[in-house]
Amino acid sequence: MSKTTTSAVAEKKLEQTPVKHDQPAASEKAARDHSMFDAELSGAVLNMTLLGRILGWMKPYKYMFALSALLVLLWSTLSVMLPVIISVVVVDHIIRQEAESMAPDFGLIELTDWIALSLNTSPIVAACLLYAVVQLLWGIVGHAHRQTLIASVINGLRDLRLDLFQHLETRPSSFYDRVAVGRVMTRVTNDIEALYELLRGIGSLIGEFVPFFVALAIMLSIDPLLTGYLLLAMPVMAFVTYLFRRATRELFRKVRMSLSSLNQYMQENLAGLQVVQLSGREETNLAHYEDINWENRRWETKSMRLETFYGAFNDSMGSIAIGVIIWYAAPEVVQNEITLGGAILFTRFIDMLFHPIVALGEQTNILFRAMASGERIFQALDWDEKIHEPAQPTQLPARLAGSIEFRELSFRYDADIPVIDNVSVHIKAGEKLAIVGPTGSGKSTLIRLLGRFYDFADGKIFLDGIDLNQIHSHDLRRRVGVVLQDFHIFSGSVYDNIALGNASISKERAIAAAKTVNAHGFVSALPAGYDTELSERGQNLSQGQRQLLAFARVLAADPEILVLDEATASIDTETELLIQDALDKLTTGRTSIIIAHRLQTIQEADRIMVFKDGRIAELGTHAELLAEQGIYKELHELQFQEV
Amino acid sequence: MWKSLWRLREVAGKYALMLGFGILCFLGARIFEAQVPLYLKEGIDRMAAGNADVSWPVIAIMGAVFARFFIVSAARYAVRQAALRIAFDLRQQLFSSLQGQGQAFYNRYGIGDMMTRAVSDISLIQRLFSMGSILLVILLFATIVGFYYMLQLSPELTLLILPPMPFVFWYAWYSSREMGVTSLVVQERMSQMSEQVQENLSGIRTIQAMVQEDNEVQRFAATNQLYANAFFEQARINSLMMAVMPSMVAICTITILGYGGNMVLEGKITIGTFVAFFTYVGMVVQPFRVAGFIVNLFQRAAVASNRVYEVLDLAPEHADNPSGATQALLGGEIELKNLTYSYPGATTPSLNGIDLHIQAGETVAIMGRVGSGKTTLLRQLVRLTDAPAGTVLIDEHDVSDYPLAQLRAQVALVPQDSFLFAETLQHNMTYDDPSRGLEAIWQAADAADLRRTLEGFPDGLDTLVGERGVTLSGGQKQRTTLARGLVRHAPILLLDDCFASVDTATEEHILRHLSQLRSTQTTLLVSHRVSTARHADRIVVLEEGRIKECGSHAELLASGGVYADLERIQREGTGDA
Repeated sequence: MSKTTTSAVAEKKLEQTPVKHDQPAASEKAARDHSMFDAELSGAVLNMTLLGRILGWMKPYKYMFALSALLVLLWSTLSVMLPVIISVVVVDHIIRQEAESMAPDFGLIELTDWIALSLNTSPIVAACLLYAVVQLLWGIVGHAHRQTLIASVINGLRDLRLDLFQHLETRPSSFYDRVAVGRVMTRVTNDIEALYELLRGIGSLIGEFVPFFVALAIMLSIDPLLTGYLLLAMPVMAFVTYLFRRATRELFRKVRMSLSSLNQYMQENLAGLQVVQLSGREETNLAHYEDINWENRRWETKSMRLETFYGAFNDSMGSIAIGVIIWYAAPEVVQNEITLGGAILFTRFIDMLFHPIVALGEQTNILFRAMASGERIFQALDWDEKIHEPAQPTQLPARLAGSIEFRELSFRYDADIPVIDNVSVHIKAGEKLAIVGPTGSGKSTLIRLLGRFYDFADGKIFLDGIDLNQIHSHDLRRRVGVVLQDFHIFSGSVYDNIALGNASISKERAIAAAKTVNAHGFVSALPAGYDTELSERGQNLSQGQRQLLAFARVLAADPEILVLDEATASIDTETELLIQDALDKLTTGRTSIIIAHRLQTIQEADRIMVFKDGRIAELGTHAELLAEQGIYKELHELQFQEV
Repeated sequence: MWKSLWRLREVAGKYALMLGFGILCFLGARIFEAQVPLYLKEGIDRMAAGNADVSWPVIAIMGAVFARFFIVSAARYAVRQAALRIAFDLRQQLFSSLQGQGQAFYNRYGIGDMMTRAVSDISLIQRLFSMGSILLVILLFATIVGFYYMLQLSPELTLLILPPMPFVFWYAWYSSREMGVTSLVVQERMSQMSEQVQENLSGIRTIQAMVQEDNEVQRFAATNQLYANAFFEQARINSLMMAVMPSMVAICTITILGYGGNMVLEGKITIGTFVAFFTYVGMVVQPFRVAGFIVNLFQRAAVASNRVYEVLDLAPEHADNPSGATQALLGGEIELKNLTYSYPGATTPSLNGIDLHIQAGETVAIMGRVGSGKTTLLRQLVRLTDAPAGTVLIDEHDVSDYPLAQLRAQVALVPQDSFLFAETLQHNMTYDDPSRGLEAIWQAADAADLRRTLEGFPDGLDTLVGERGVTLSGGQKQRTTLARGLVRHAPILLLDDCFASVDTATEEHILRHLSQLRSTQTTLLVSHRVSTARHADRIVVLEEGRIKECGSHAELLASGGVYADLERIQREGTGDA
């Protein structure tokens, strides 16, 4: 229980994190520990707060849930009635013609007699008819119960998953910089999946336990002592189940881990197979793979040993109970303490009595996994890191002129090193600025700040004189077209990828944009032209083609400001020329900031900014900078010196 | 299907005894199991007759339970152990076989496909042995044994409950197959959803930059709904089966209840027999539930077997038949004689009549457009692709005359895409020979301009690469792979465009180092940049698989061909060439 409390405290802490607006506090960034996001969580077995939160998502479907609960009661009663008909009605009443039976018969005896009388048949035919009716009802009610239960669960979890996705979709870059995408992803997929399992498991437990209690009540009313003897088996089974689960939990974890490292090793080996072959490592790697394979086999064998015994043990309990019932009931029946039908009824109830324990044992693992998953899901949902939007965002005019000013701007990701260090520069409307500088100098960060991907408090950025922090990030991003190096292709057609769901971009407009940026040629050559479906990572397009497509996308959206991180990858000279030409058209009449790697781009810029260690090292035209004999000249000469 | 499954004898044969023992044990367990209702009947009959002495039936039941416990444990263990070993062996074979394949293979199949074979297909085969074969055999036993004892007790009643059986069986088979189908749909939708989430999160910056969050959420909502629908459908079929199966079996139960009840009243059978029949019907019908599941498992395992053997049957892509006449250390002279090479299935050759003689110790740059054959040319020298005999010679011997291991040890190729293993940097740099000394590693690091990067990491050479460690930039990765190539001091070094992510100043630095380090050894380097190529003794310009120009930087500039054009474009950046 102590574990539960700790996690409840952790939960509270998360909830108490004050939701801030407007101005981000400097302390907030330092306080956030992203490694938490990947860390193992408390792992409490039963976290009621958590269960309560999960159930919160079922609320809209509570009537269906209630109906399901009602149905399960009815269904359980019907389940118990079937063996009662066999033992009490047929064996005791009809065959043995016992005067009175200890066993409750739900009025079924009278009903049978009444049916026999009304239809003028033998009582045994009447019992068969009754059995048929109860069986039919049992089927219908059971199906209805399971359907309503599963429907409310599925709907609730579907909603939870969508909410989680939406939440993640709107987390800022600072979040995604720090956490592994894979880990975030599994929360939406595997973790929610574990909750499905959990709720389905709970459903099946309800279907086990309600009949259990009904059967128990009947058994107690027939013979409390025999019932007591049989119940003695339960702590034994529970204990064995507990031991088994405790022993195997660790083993199963080891099995899973060894299996996943087995797969990981193969995956990596195949991904780097060329290196493996070129390094002649095949034998070594095969031997290493065998080691992992053995490791897996060892753990599998260990857990297998326990599993086979446990399974056989569970199977045996029912038969042992039958032996106990006969041994105990024989003298009682002979002395007329209980009826024969009562004894037979006991044997028919054995499964209902014992199976819930086994099922509970099976469900604990799922419960464990689900609790951990639930914690991870709510940790993600509670993660309130975000870009702080202004309380009253400034409405932007229909068309911006496009002047940009950075004023004494400083920025750091972590507390220690500033990535942007007191940068002030004014970019005129329509100007084309090229940024050059070594990797890690802060160029990318600068343009990300302009897109408001990060909150910044130290210094200001103005867009046409409007403080960037007073503009809603969505409004801003519609005006600032960003082309990143890793162009992301959305699954959909070429046209979809250009229009990006903007209804105002017609196909004609998309084609016109593609033509302008020289993308029309290769798009037309695709099997279905603009309707060609692009694969997730755009493998069917070359690097250069992807760049051109990114251009078309921006041009179609027609933002006032263009921000471009020029691709560094080697592109053949011909495509290179197409790109340069397209870039030229794209930047015309638009304020453009380009992180440039190519000479022509640099030369065609109005001004060149040399960025180093987060500061502006040099700023001026191509000619001016060459004359300055500084970093720019050095860069320029290295690549283009004469023989 | 049977042919594919029969194929598995190759790997399962070794464990035939173990499997046979397990199945035999299962048969024994079933017989003991069937004793329980038999002695329950005996007990009830004694009770009904007013005989309170039931010690014999109780002892018999306990004895049967006790025996069954051990027999069934042994049976399960034997069978699952055999299945585990079969999976173990298959994994080793598959891994080994996959290592022998090369580009042609992976272009056709892809790594994801291979992983599915290694993970899902092998685990399906494992399940076939651990569950499928057992289920089939033991459940068949259950039915046979159940009917045997029923016939013993009352042939008349047994015959009466037979007619509904085929229908029960048919329905069970049908709906469990149906369930198999829907569970596939659920899986499919799940993977669709995973893919969408993955794609979304990795493109999150673009999505946010383009203000596409709402669109994406809507798109996801649709996928999410589809998944929920499939899941519900699966649950529905399952629930329906849980309702209908017992109701169909109830036809048998009612027959026993009515006809059997009358027989008891007429004194034809005892109450004990009457009760035992209910148990036996359950025993006979129980296997039906999983009938469809078994059929499904067999079918899927057959497909899995095909897929695994498809890979295992392939010969290694490059045969290793050394002639034995080659010397142990390469000098470094390369000769290409009228080398023509087409990739399998390609209509035009990637290399077309290449004649080139490279002296030991020479540095040659190879230039040309994407697809002009540069990489293909380098690959011939390490036999990543096999050229026709007699066209690729090293030290006057055909490359295929050398032992493959020697060739690849002494001809070091640094590929274009810089692949690093999720291990330490040191491990990555000494991948071919982990025993290499620190001195050699640092020397290579210096040559690849990696020293400062390494010293910048708190853990230095022990820094882990990848998700659990540091994420290296493109340039850092490229320099690490370069160091991995340089550390080998190979007589022949092949650099495939490995400066693309390195800035020009660094490249300049590395090349200068390289020319000192390798002044007496052969070096071939592929590049797009004139600034890189100009350092070479000779430059070869390829166009559509042919040598278009060949000569020194000065010669080629003077001749005014493609190279001169390229030089001008790259120098001036004007685009009307």
